[in-house]
Amino acid sequence: MDLLIPFLSLSAVTFGIGLYGLISKRNMLRMLLAAEVNFNAAMLALLTFAAASPGSGAATGGILALLAIGMAAADVGIMVSIAILMFHLKHKLDVYELEEFKG
Amino acid sequence: MSLSELAADPTVVTFFALAAVTIVSSILVIAHKSLVYSAFFLGVLGMANAALFALLGFTFVALFHVAVYIGAAVTFILFSITMFEEVPSVERPIRLIAALSAVLIFVLLVGTFTLYFNVPFQPGYIEYTELAKLLVERYWFALIIAALTLITTLIEAITLARLEEKK
Repeated sequence: MDLLIPFLSLSAVTFGIGLYGLISKRNMLRMLLAAEVNFNAAMLALLTFAAASPGSGAATGGILALLAIGMAAADVGIMVSIAILMFHLKHKLDVYELEEFKG
Repeated sequence: MSLSELAADPTVVTFFALAAVTIVSSILVIAHKSLVYSAFFLGVLGMANAALFALLGFTFVALFHVAVYIGAAVTFILFSITMFEEVPSVERPIRLIAALSAVLIFVLLVGTFTLYFNVPFQPGYIEYTELAKLLVERYWFALIIAALTLITTLIEAITLARLEEKK
């Protein structure tokens, strides 16, 4: 069975769910978790396209995926550090309060 | 291909089982009341995704995803969340707009992906030697930048954490 369509559709569904969470939540950590759902969906689409690529396209897609996973780990570290700092200062994780962190 | 033939194909059965786990865990990440459980279900989502990567032929990426993404990132989120008191979940009064955006992006993505539906798709095994050769010979600069980014992130995270102590 040609699984390209189901794989890409699954990626689209997961991305939609993540986007809903990203837009509808105000809690910083919940937004981070929603963004991570989006990341997983994007990775699935990337590797599906890589698997369908001819020649060395698959290996290149694999390398891109490895670098992307490393970057995702880095951005989680930054976001959680900001959340910890914000919680210590404000005892809240509401992103609307971030306005006061300017400058 | 008939339904019984599809059900006999182990790849198809595995895919649909993993797809179900992926969708349910994504919904639970977004909708679960407890942040700790949300982070736990993100780990489940990552595991299901890693299995899907392996199904696509990217076994090495699947292992890396489990080790680095779930083993480091998700576990880090999970342990950090336990440091916070459970704060009441505040939602923006734009659920309808969020739902419409999600549906719109789904339609848009499926519309874009339709262009590739006729592309022949045959997941296969990827040579690790080819992967390593490409990474070291052609993408060495990206590798160095990624390593530097990770080091910078580490320093930034420590600085942010110590900022509170100084205050």
